[in-house]
Order: sequence, then C-alpha cells, then structure tokens
Amino acid sequence: MGTLARIRQSYILYSFVRDWVAITCFIVVCILILISFLSPFIAPHNPYESASINVMNAETPPMWMEGGSSEFILGTDSQGRDLFSTLLFGMRISIIIGCCAVILQAFLGVIIGLVSGYIGGRLDSFLMRMADVQLSFSTMMVAIFLGAIFQAAFGVAMYERFAVVLLVFIIGLAEWPQYARTVRASVLAEKQKEYVEAARVIGLNSARIMLRHILPNTLSPVLVISTVQVANAIMSEAALSFLGLGMPVTRPSLGSLINSGFEFIFSGSWWITLFPGIFLVLLILVINLLGDWLRDVLNPKLYKG
Amino acid sequence: MFAFTIRRIAQGILVMLIISFLCFTIQHAIGDPVRDIVGISVSAAEREALREKMGLNDPFLSQYIRFLGKAVRGDVGMSFFFKKPALEVILFKAPATLELVFVSSVIIIFISIPLGIYCAINPKHILSRIIMGMSIVGVSIPVFLTAIMLIYIFSVELHWLPSYGRGELVNIGGWKSGLFTISGIRHLILPSIALSSIMLPLFIRLIRSQMMEILETEYIKFAWAKGLHKRRIWFIHAFKNTLLPVITVGGVQLGTMIAFTILTETVFQWQGLGFLFIEAVERADTTLLVAYLMVVGVIFVVVNTIVDLIYGLVNPTVRIQGTR
Amino acid sequence: MKKFLWLIVGIIIVAIIVFMTTQKKQEEPTLAGKTLKLAMDADPVSLDPHVQLSGGMLQYSHMVFDPLVRWTKAMDLEPRLALRWELIDENTMRFYLRQGVKFHTGNPFTAKDVKWTVERLKKSQDFKGLFEPFEGVNIIDDYTCDLVTKKPYSLVLNMATYIFPMDSAFYTGTDETGNPKDAIVKTGPSFALNHESGTGKYRVTTREQGVETVFETFEGYWDDESPGNVDKIVLTPIKNDATRVAALLSGDVDFIMPVPPQDYERVAGSENSQLITMSGSRIITFQLNQNRRPEFKDLRVRKAIVYAVNNEGIVETIMKGTATAAAQQAPVGFAGYKADLQPRYDLEKAISLMKEAGYADGFTCSMIAPNNRYVNDEKISEAVVAMLAKIKIKVNLKTMPKAQYWDQFDAQVADIQMIGWHPDTEDSANYSEFLVMCPNKETGYGQYNSGNYCNPKVDELVLASQTETDPAKRSTMLQDVEQILYDDAAYVPLHWQNLSWAGKKNLNIEPIVNVMNFPYFGDLVID
Repeated sequence: MGTLARIRQSYILYSFVRDWVAITCFIVVCILILISFLSPFIAPHNPYESASINVMNAETPPMWMEGGSSEFILGTDSQGRDLFSTLLFGMRISIIIGCCAVILQAFLGVIIGLVSGYIGGRLDSFLMRMADVQLSFSTMMVAIFLGAIFQAAFGVAMYERFAVVLLVFIIGLAEWPQYARTVRASVLAEKQKEYVEAARVIGLNSARIMLRHILPNTLSPVLVISTVQVANAIMSEAALSFLGLGMPVTRPSLGSLINSGFEFIFSGSWWITLFPGIFLVLLILVINLLGDWLRDVLNPKLYKG
Repeated sequence: MFAFTIRRIAQGILVMLIISFLCFTIQHAIGDPVRDIVGISVSAAEREALREKMGLNDPFLSQYIRFLGKAVRGDVGMSFFFKKPALEVILFKAPATLELVFVSSVIIIFISIPLGIYCAINPKHILSRIIMGMSIVGVSIPVFLTAIMLIYIFSVELHWLPSYGRGELVNIGGWKSGLFTISGIRHLILPSIALSSIMLPLFIRLIRSQMMEILETEYIKFAWAKGLHKRRIWFIHAFKNTLLPVITVGGVQLGTMIAFTILTETVFQWQGLGFLFIEAVERADTTLLVAYLMVVGVIFVVVNTIVDLIYGLVNPTVRIQGTR
Repeated sequence: MKKFLWLIVGIIIVAIIVFMTTQKKQEEPTLAGKTLKLAMDADPVSLDPHVQLSGGMLQYSHMVFDPLVRWTKAMDLEPRLALRWELIDENTMRFYLRQGVKFHTGNPFTAKDVKWTVERLKKSQDFKGLFEPFEGVNIIDDYTCDLVTKKPYSLVLNMATYIFPMDSAFYTGTDETGNPKDAIVKTGPSFALNHESGTGKYRVTTREQGVETVFETFEGYWDDESPGNVDKIVLTPIKNDATRVAALLSGDVDFIMPVPPQDYERVAGSENSQLITMSGSRIITFQLNQNRRPEFKDLRVRKAIVYAVNNEGIVETIMKGTATAAAQQAPVGFAGYKADLQPRYDLEKAISLMKEAGYADGFTCSMIAPNNRYVNDEKISEAVVAMLAKIKIKVNLKTMPKAQYWDQFDAQVADIQMIGWHPDTEDSANYSEFLVMCPNKETGYGQYNSGNYCNPKVDELVLASQTETDPAKRSTMLQDVEQILYDDAAYVPLHWQNLSWAGKKNLNIEPIVNVMNFPYFGDLVID
C-alpha cells in the first residue's frame, strides 16, 4: 500500500474532513503562518528598517477613523511604525519562538522521560523530582536567571541579536517536564508489554529498545501535547515580553506590542493594544482547537494537564 | 509515612540550596543595588565604600557561606530597599497575594465544579457545547490581556470598579485584609477574575473529562443497575472519584498560579508578592529576590507533599514513594 | 452534601452581616479638615532626609521639615527658618533665625540645630559632595549663626535651601538597639528611618513603605500666614503611569505627579481635573563615546549626528509637546543660557557631513538607555535609532531598568549612552561639572561624561565660574562654555523635560508648584 493511499484511508483524515471546526482552524493556522512568514513581501512597511520609520507618524489611528491614513491600515504605534506590518513581523517571531521552544522541550522531555521510565529506580525518582522543582519555578523566573547570565556572559550590546535564541532556550528549558512526565507514564505502560520483554530476550541493547521500540508507541501523546505546548509557548513569550523580559523594543513581538499599547489605552490609542491582542488570541485559539481535535482523535482518554 | 515526610523535607532543603546558589551566582548581573540607594551625584569613591560596607565586594564563596550561616538561623538577609529583614517584608506582603489566590480559587472551585459536572452529564446539550467552546477561548487569552480588557471596560469606560491597589484594609492580628470592607472587596473583584480566568476553563475541562470517564466505569453501571437515584450516582459516587486527579493537577498548577500572580499584580498594581518580585528585579534587591524564590519553593514543596499525602489517604491503592 | 451547602450559605450570610457592620463604622470619619489623597510615582525611601539626595526625598523634606530659605515660583529666595541673612566677609554668611519655632517633639528650634544639621549633612554620603565647600557653622547666639565656606563660593544661598534643620535633641543618644540615633543608614534599620522630628507643617503618622504614608498637621506649626488648609495627606505610590492617571480620573486620588505626556490631553480635557505643566530644567542627552568609537572623534560625524536628530520632532510626537527642544545644557533663566543656540535639525546637511567625513555608507554602533528613569526614555532612544538610520548609522539598542543601567553606563558598554541631568544646585555650572568636563577620578569632575569629551578650555571656564561672585562675569563664562560645547557637538542635546502635576478642579495647584518640582503642600488650598 502506498503512502498516499495510506494517508487517504487513515482515521485521522477521515475524522478531519468530517469536522468543520478542525478544517476551519487548520485553514486559519495556515493563513496566519503564511502571512507572517511572507511578511517581508506582503507587509506594506518593514518595521525593522529603522530608516523607514518616522516618529512624526506616531499614533496614527486606523485608516477608517478620523485622522487615519490609507498608508497605515491599522494605524501606527508610538514610534510611527505601521501597526499591521509590525504585527505580521511580530507574529512571525512569536511563531518561530513557539515552535523552536517546543522542539527543544520535546527533545529534552522525551529523552528524560524515556530514560526515567525505562531505567527507573533512583535515577527515575531523581529526574522526576527535578521535574517537580523545575515546575515550581515559572518561566518568568527562569527567564530572569538566563537573561542575567546571558548578559553577564555576552554583554548588553549582543542582546538584541540573540534575543530570539535566548527566548527559545528560556521557554524550552522551563517546560520540558510536561513532556518528560507524559512520556514516562506511557513508557511505564509499554514496558510491561510482551514485545519489550521479547526484545530484551533476544538481546537488544537498552538504547535500541528505547528508541526503536518504545518511543514510536509513545508518540501520539507527544504529538497531542506538542500542539498545546506551541500555544503555551507563544503565550509564555507574550507574557515575558509583556513584562519587559522578552523581545527588545526594536523588534517587537505581539507581547511587547501589547505592553507598549497598555500605556496608551487610557489616552485613547486603543488600537496599539487591541489588534496585536486579537491576533495573539486568534493564533493561540486555533492552535488550541486543533490540539483538542487531535487529542480526541488520537487518544480520547488523554486529558490536558 | 514518616520516612516519606523526612525525605520530602530533605528534598526541600536541597531545592533551597540550589535556588540560593543560583541566585548568588547571578546577582551581579541583575544590577547594582548601590545605584538605587544613593543619589546620582554621589562620587564613585563613596559608592565603593558603601559597597564594601554591604559586603558586596567579598569573594563570591565567602558571601555565599555567610549567607548560608545566617539562613540556618532563619535570617536570609536585609532587603536593601525596605531596610527590613527580607523575610519580614515577604510575610508582610504575603496576605495580599494569599487573599488574591484564595478568592480566585474560590471562584474556580465554585464555578468549575458545577459547570464541569453539568457538561459531563449532558455532553450533547447545547449549553454544554457553549461552555466547552467558551472554555477553550478562555484558555487562549493570556492573563495580562484579560486584565487589561477588564480594566478598560470596568474602570476606564464604565467607572464601576477601581483599577489599582487593594483599597481599604482591616488589620486582623497583623494580617491586613481587604475581605472585610466594601472598598477592599471592590478592589479584589477585577484582579481575582483576571487571575482565575486562565485556570477556570482548564478545570472545567478537566472535571468534565474525568467525570465522563468515570461515568463509563463498571461500578457506576452497577450503581445504575442497582436502581440508585441519579443524583446520588452523579454527586456522590462519580464526583468523589473525579476529585482525585483534580487535586493532583491543582497541586501542580500552583506554580503556574504563582507565576500568574506576577502578571496580574503587575497590571493591577496589587501590593503583593508578585509585584514585589518584579520591583525587586528592577531595583536589583537581590536579598529580597533570594528570599522570594525560597519562599515560593517552600510553598510548592509543602503543597505538593500535602497533595501526595491526601492522595494516599483518599486512595489507598496509591503507594507513596518512600514508604518502602 | 446538603449540610455542606447550608453551611456555606450560613457562612456567606454571617460574612455579609459582619461586612455591613464594619462598613457602617467606616462611614463615620470626621470631615473637620481637608484631606488630600496624593499619588506619586514613588514614596520617600526613608523618614531620614539625609539618607538620599533625590527629588522624592526633597519633596518629603518640604512637607515634614523646613529649610532655612526656599525658592519661590519666580526662582527668588524666600525666608523660612532664616528670617534674613547677610554676607559678613567673603567667606561668611550670617543667618538670623526665626524665633518661637517648635519641632514636632515640642523642642524649641535654635542655632545649635542648624549647626548639628550641617554637620550631619557633611557626614551624609549623598550630601557631603554638595557641602564640601563649607567649613561649618559658628553659633553666635541662640538665633544667629554663621555659615562659613572654605573659599569664596557663589552658591551659598542655593545650598541653604538644602539645610532642613533637624531636632538635634531628638536625634541624639542611642535607640533601643544601642545604635546612635543620628546614624545615617542606607541599607538597614535606623532610628531616623522610622522617626522624624522637624519643624514642618506635617507629621508622619503612619507609614508602610511602598503602600501608604499618612501625614497629619502638626498643631504647633509656626507659619500662620500660610493659606494652606490641608490637614491630612495620604500619599500612595502608583508606579504605573496609566494606572496613576486612571486613579485621578476615577476620583480615587486628588492629586497626581508626574503626569505621563500621552495622557495630558485626557487629564486637561476631563471636567473634573486640571493639568499644570511647567518647563523643567532636566536635560536629556546622548553622549557619543570617543574612546570606544574612533568615528566619534571626528567633529563632522558628531555634528552629522546632532543634525540628524530631530529633537523638535521627538518633543512634538513622543513628548506630545510637553518638553522644550534643547541645543544647550541649561534652560532659560539659568546663568549660562544663550538665546541664539537653537536646535539644528537638518537631514541634508547631516548626510553631506557624513560624506565629507568619509562615512557615506555609515557604520554600526551600539546604544543603551534606561527604560524607567526619564519620561519616555525608551521611546526616545528608539526614535533616535530610527533617525540615525537615515544617515546610515545602524544602531543596536538595548534598554534596561535603571537598577542595571548605571552600572552599564559607568562601564561604558555601549558607544552611545543616554543621560539626563538636573542640577542639584539649580545652576548652570553643575551640568558641565558632571557631564562634559574631562573625566578625572580624583576631583570627581566629569563623573557622568561617558562620551569622554575633553576640552581644557571648558574645564578652565567652569572652574573659574565656581569662585566668581560677580553674576554678570560668571554668566558670560558659562555662556562661553555652552557656545564651545555647541560648536564642538560635544553631546547630542534632546530636550528639557516638562514638569507636570494634575489634580481635581477644586485644588489650587498653580501657586504651590515650582520648577524644582517641590510642591509646597503646606500652602495648598482646597476649595
């Protein structure tokens, strides 16, 4: 049976085409990803090109309002950057950080979960205790730690260039326990099964058993968590930037845009907060809905923790 | 049980050691508290003298050992800004955060349980679908955005509720409470809604899925067959067993809740621990930071230990690690 | 289950009853005197006026203590605890003190309190620099004393505004922990941290740092001529700009300072509130580090940068017109102000200067700025980055909270660094002493000159101005300094921040505020 045919007959596809929520979400996610990654081509302005920003345009309202200009569809922020363009670029940063951080989380979490579940004993209890400790410290505290260490090591001037990498590390390191716990739980279940016993009997080494035999069987919960975690990571990034611990002001992400808009909501420039807010919520919402659907399909019993 | 508790305490101490060590390694990178203490025109030599006096120039290890020696006696140091023992400052600010967390938890418990049960009992009902739909939207709105929206709608536009601070407080044996005055309660409403907004949907979903799972089990089917009243089955038999995992998740989510108090308190200028934390970071008040992180660590370890104990008590089939 | 429910209902009912009864009690407070609910961005860090030299502490000092003399709105000196003064010889100023003044403890105020206070000032880490030129105080009799300087000094009276006599009897001795009561402790508990006895209109009755400070009228206050009718001031620090404004507009507080520029229109437009602004003397500048960047050694590059920065544009948009674009350090009214030095934004000229200097393609450099120190500091630095991009200078910007900033500033980690300056002496020379004189560790001059600009001529003029007592000659010297700095493009001047206050309509704010930003709350009249 060819791969194509297998996909066509798969249960996933079957339930996908029959669920209009899933289809809509999928389309919206695709559109959001597409426009944010094509932002250099479709955005009317380039917010990173400092030379094109004119502070004299600051706080222009959206084009349909009095004082608005058709040059700036959704208005401008306090620096005179086109809000729509900045939004697209900001969303791209959010998505990149979200996805990369989740890959890092998954990598760490899966390995630790596998080892912990398969080997067990003292190592297991040590690793799981570490996960507990890690969980007790929110992403924000980890961010302050790593941010401070980074500044001490590389100096202030480098921060702007490496902020994205840094955030990926912060969010990646802060939330691996989610994966580790899930993987460990399913490893514990799989370990009891006969095929693992059989593999051991024929003398395969542990690494091989873990990676080739157990891992594939634990992947579906990992997949489910991953979608939700992407949404969470995007939210963490926004929260960090909101507190001023994330992206620098010159390369705003959605969170930092909302933060800079917060100063202005009392004075009437509501659009600086509202539009990034809408896009952020939309992005997280559709990812969450997709994750929900995926969970129902792959593993109806798994709950979101 | 005893061995288990001892083991947990040992783990707790280890955690504290790691945290304090990390804090010490990075304290120089967070900033220089001396600059916040003196006026700007003070000469470099004067600042250096002050730094010397505060012991900030000593080698790292001797500072750390000195800290540990004092910490054993319950003295984690003096907050530069408040000029009081850091622990005292934290205990003083703790009621604000505890009240906020308490009220939010009450909101979460009193709304999530009925709604979760309802959705589990009537999964196909239109109301259930609406609740589930709302809950996923709720999960997707970052807490600071909720907070900003609440302020915008209820304080700025409608002028119904205040947007900052704790309002009038009543002092009950050193515990400054906002729960007993109208102004205090009015100030509590928006922050506690904001704080509960992210956990509430999570718990509704959790309770629903747990309950649905349990309604499928054999013993519930048996209860139906026995002809028990449906209320009895739902609220006594099924609900009891739903609670177990909810308690566990609740314990784990405490860390998240504390993280969210940082965001909520920042937006609402709520004079609690989260606000204190962000201010301490900005002022480079490292002693206070270390103390805060340690207190949070203690709270987490204690709550998780209690959760594990409760779990063991409620469900004897769970074997607590450490009893072997 | 049912019992449990009833229990909860019971608890709620009891809670409501308790709640109602406690509420009744609180509605009774007497309305004898006027109460002012005041919100500032920060509260005093201590009750000890000598613990920190900062705007906030001086604002506090004016409420609880009284200075010998103080500035009026028109920048004249007005007698407070000193009734009059005269210059006896070139190093001695004699002060005749007010009689019948009492401290909050009831102790009478005499010349020995002045002597004690000046001695304490000379010990304070923050103030000793300002009081360095002074020899000390000689007591002539109970109500007469001489303030003696080491050599002729042009700013004796300016410094007298910093002498807030403290109750020497009250602060002498040791407290219950055995520490001397007059100890100035910056980082720990001390007697003066929590106790005060001044001659000012207000006593501090309760204080919870970072949350609330309550000031109440002192019955035995000496100044009966003051029209002020505020008996109680409740000071709440609200750090977040937006929240502070919201608190005023919703009526939670009566008076706020400072007001963020983006909200000026809203506050002024509201029917319940009024806005007062005043051009201030804090200059915001960027320094171009000539040691780090060889390019900045080239006068043409420095000039190009000054020409490229549209500081009038920044004032108009980011500051919403609430600042005055600057081309020199001192604002109008200061000795060194030179009217013909005007902002010089000219992009064409900037580009051609860059070309002339051989940097037509620009270069890349770094910049740091604080993000919670000056009004809109972060936004201003961002705007400057965009402006420099137009002459092809690519700037990597990093902003940070002030707790981290000053260390980085001192270490000169970036090529362009932001600094704002307000002279403690209310005098032109002070700007130059700290910002542009050649950095010298021993004398302390040029302490905040991270541009490493060094021109011996400037140093010479500024030093000469310190001992010059003829105001006209002194003014010419300081104007020459400004001219040299302007021609040398020694730094990038941006603007002088406006000061701003806002309050409810029934407050007579106008008469009590001044360019030093020390509102004299004792004189506030509420209708």
